[in-house]
Amino acid sequence: MAQQNTFGYTAAEREKAFIALYQQAFPAVAKYVSKMGGTFDEAKDVFQDALVIYYERSATKAFELKMDEKAYLFGVAKNLWAKKFRENMLLDPVEDYEMDLVDEESTQPSNGKLMHYLETAGKKCMEMLKAFYYDNLPVKTIAELFGFSGERSATVQKYKCMEKVRETVKQRSLTYEDFLE
Amino acid sequence: MRTSLNEIKLIDGRIFNTNPPEDALLFDAMLLINPELGQQLVWQQKAHAVVKQYSRKKLKAEIEAVHQQLFHKPQHSGFRRRILSLFNKK
Repeated sequence: MAQQNTFGYTAAEREKAFIALYQQAFPAVAKYVSKMGGTFDEAKDVFQDALVIYYERSATKAFELKMDEKAYLFGVAKNLWAKKFRENMLLDPVEDYEMDLVDEESTQPSNGKLMHYLETAGKKCMEMLKAFYYDNLPVKTIAELFGFSGERSATVQKYKCMEKVRETVKQRSLTYEDFLE
Repeated sequence: MRTSLNEIKLIDGRIFNTNPPEDALLFDAMLLINPELGQQLVWQQKAHAVVKQYSRKKLKAEIEAVHQQLFHKPQHSGFRRRILSLFNKK
């Protein structure tokens, strides 16, 4: 499941990569959105969603970028903008329109209470699970980043964390009906 | 690894379709004789959705922090002006 994306393994490396992508690709997206009558905030929204999409796709094993990053991000942002524009035309006036990514969030399983609990009490586990399942980092790197003696210890901890989160989701959802939608 | 962790590993394999054939068969057999395992599978899928939601939220915060840097730090003022000029013409 190990990836080889361009974002690096740490928050500092990701920051550097996102700054570079912003500088390379945001001007063209902003110019396009402006030309289409959009605002700065709308350009920012579609561009940031495009970055999330690029990050998530690049973290999957099968993803292979067949064009340069700037062209890819411009294409994704343009599609997101077109979708937003179309839906605004159909649904207008809908002020709180949200893009695909945010639409997904509305159908996602947790509300603020569970997320808040996991962000505080379960932060270490959540960070580790993020590294394994979302960032898809190599196990060796995760072991180093989280201070484990080896890959096996890191893997065992991954399953312990998944067990803990699974039980939390289960218990909280059974205790409070509004924990899960 | 203790049994419950092996079970989690097997369930992960089922969710991501990464179990080798012998484990996939074993899991199907376990599902037949242990209905509770099916429930655990559902909870684990929900847990994965929560992890994804958490991770995406963190990633978006990192991207927003980069945006704030580029549009508020003096060393990026040229970039900022260049972008804002696109929207000031109206």
